[in-house]
Amino acid sequence: MNSISKRSLFFIFILLSGLFGCKPTPSVSENEDQNKYSIYILGKDGKEYLLESNQLDSGLLLPEKDGVPLNTREMDRSMIVKNGYYYHLNRKKAALIKYAIKADQLQEVQSMPLAQFSIENYHWLGGDTLLLTGLGRPDFKQVKYSMLNAGSMKPISEGNMEIPVPSGRFDNMSVGFVKKQGSKLLVGYTYHQQLGISNYTTSDTTYITALNYPQMTAVKTVKDTRSTYPGGVNTVQLSAFNDAQGDFYFMACPGIALGNRPELPTAVMRINNGATVADPHYFFNLSSAIGNHAYGMWNLGDGKAIVRAERKDLFKGLGDHYSTPHFEFYLIDVKNNKVLKKLALPLDKGTRRECVLLKDNIAYISVNSSSEGNYIWKYDLKSGALTKGIQLAGNTDFILRIDKLR
Amino acid sequence: MNISKDLIEKYHRNECSTEERDAVEAWLFSNHTDEGLQLPLGESKAAHKADIWKGIEDILPKEEQEHLSVACQPEEIPVGLPATAKLTHNFWMGAVAATIVIGLTGLGVVQLQKNREQTDPALVSVNNTSTIKVHHLEVNDYTLAVGTNTSAKIDNLTGVVDLAGSILISPKKDMTLSFEGSPEKIIFKKDQTYIILKGKEGTDQIIVSEKNLMDLPPVLQKQIINEFNI
Repeated sequence: MNSISKRSLFFIFILLSGLFGCKPTPSVSENEDQNKYSIYILGKDGKEYLLESNQLDSGLLLPEKDGVPLNTREMDRSMIVKNGYYYHLNRKKAALIKYAIKADQLQEVQSMPLAQFSIENYHWLGGDTLLLTGLGRPDFKQVKYSMLNAGSMKPISEGNMEIPVPSGRFDNMSVGFVKKQGSKLLVGYTYHQQLGISNYTTSDTTYITALNYPQMTAVKTVKDTRSTYPGGVNTVQLSAFNDAQGDFYFMACPGIALGNRPELPTAVMRINNGATVADPHYFFNLSSAIGNHAYGMWNLGDGKAIVRAERKDLFKGLGDHYSTPHFEFYLIDVKNNKVLKKLALPLDKGTRRECVLLKDNIAYISVNSSSEGNYIWKYDLKSGALTKGIQLAGNTDFILRIDKLR
Repeated sequence: MNISKDLIEKYHRNECSTEERDAVEAWLFSNHTDEGLQLPLGESKAAHKADIWKGIEDILPKEEQEHLSVACQPEEIPVGLPATAKLTHNFWMGAVAATIVIGLTGLGVVQLQKNREQTDPALVSVNNTSTIKVHHLEVNDYTLAVGTNTSAKIDNLTGVVDLAGSILISPKKDMTLSFEGSPEKIIFKKDQTYIILKGKEGTDQIIVSEKNLMDLPPVLQKQIINEFNI
């Protein structure tokens, strides 16, 4: 055999070894493509994890084994999840960072500078266009915005929104919702007064300003004194939605965990399709129907929603509000102002969490129960059946959020 | 730079230039705290010293009182003070400075008392009346960040905390603490950071792990994030 033939045989051997000699393993990216959901976990030892899964219906996940550990100096659960990516404002780096899980790590994909900004609300304007509305740091008085292309992470525009800064006794504010309505942008907000290191109060008024879009100049502001603290920080928990008819429902949350005006009612309010003010004839008083304040609302379609309500008889104050299991989930009919039923779930803990997803007439509800463990429960909207889905065990203390990843 | 009463008051009003602020803070945390201090007419250092010792004797452990009354010598205790370097804080000078400053201007001070049989000082007491700066301390068992306008006393022997304001505490081992006015004992886990808020006006005390920061109302979250640069 001449040397060329030997070299050829050697080359073929190497090639065949490459093809058949190793056990084929699916690439990480192939696996990741199947993952439709993400789960954010706070562990019993304070570690935090992100897990991805292609289903929530059954099985067991251990964050320390199945998840990727997070660098909590840079990451927290205030995030936006879309198309397989996680967007998070890193305050110390003054940048909005886009992450993806690759090779069992949360890896930075791209970033965009975003300084002196505290996100109050995100709003997808179509495609990859993301509108972030927030307050200027460090005094949280000026409403600001940053619009960007989240695909390329390139800024489109940024600046101040023409919304009055706090005045009189009020020294800071919160933006609770942002909604595009035709050529206008509606911004719901309220004002606060710091009363001490651990105490504050909120104006009794919900403010809604209609802005010209995209100039962000004010058209008009309407005050609504039926309740206060509209919406909430939607990077942490949702509390508003558009229904199929284009009507926009938002909560007003004066309970101690948001407005701290507990004498006012928690309510669902509505901005009708095409309108720029809250419907004066619509006010769904949840406090009188449930007997407690609530925070967090998720659309189930067909006029139904789930709200998450506290139990004031089970906690003492803000000091144990997050650690005591006291939250209950209610199915409500927002069109007819009715509480349909309390879901027969164990008491849940964690003051605010992104904890409900809808898929094919199944509402997936994550519950952190001290007695029954951490499960994602399944509520069948048609049959009303409530069953346990996937379990989060091991180091899991809180399921802090569940998201549709893609 | 001479540290005058006017300058200190200017500092308190947050009207100092960077240079002036640095000078005041250097004076405040130096071992020669009364150097250059111009007391108002009619006030004497001796009177201040007497007041200081009267106040200290009331809170010192008996053993420490005996020690001080006999020896009257300062003890040096390693403490992590603001900025990056760990400084050695002179108890005597610190205490003198503390009372003088509190008496004249209300500026923040650090006061530590050491029990000779303990690894850590018996009492960590910080009165941070700065409206801008957080004070960072480190002792063997924990690190402490004391927020603005905060008075914090931690008795390391009894585990009793007397707080008015905001602190972050990061234990280096599991610790049990209780809070003035409450018999409840609370376990603080090693390697975690806890946010503790207690209003001077007697409002609810709030203790949460830093991991649960987002469970607090956004108004309080923003205040804490800003104050402690989390």
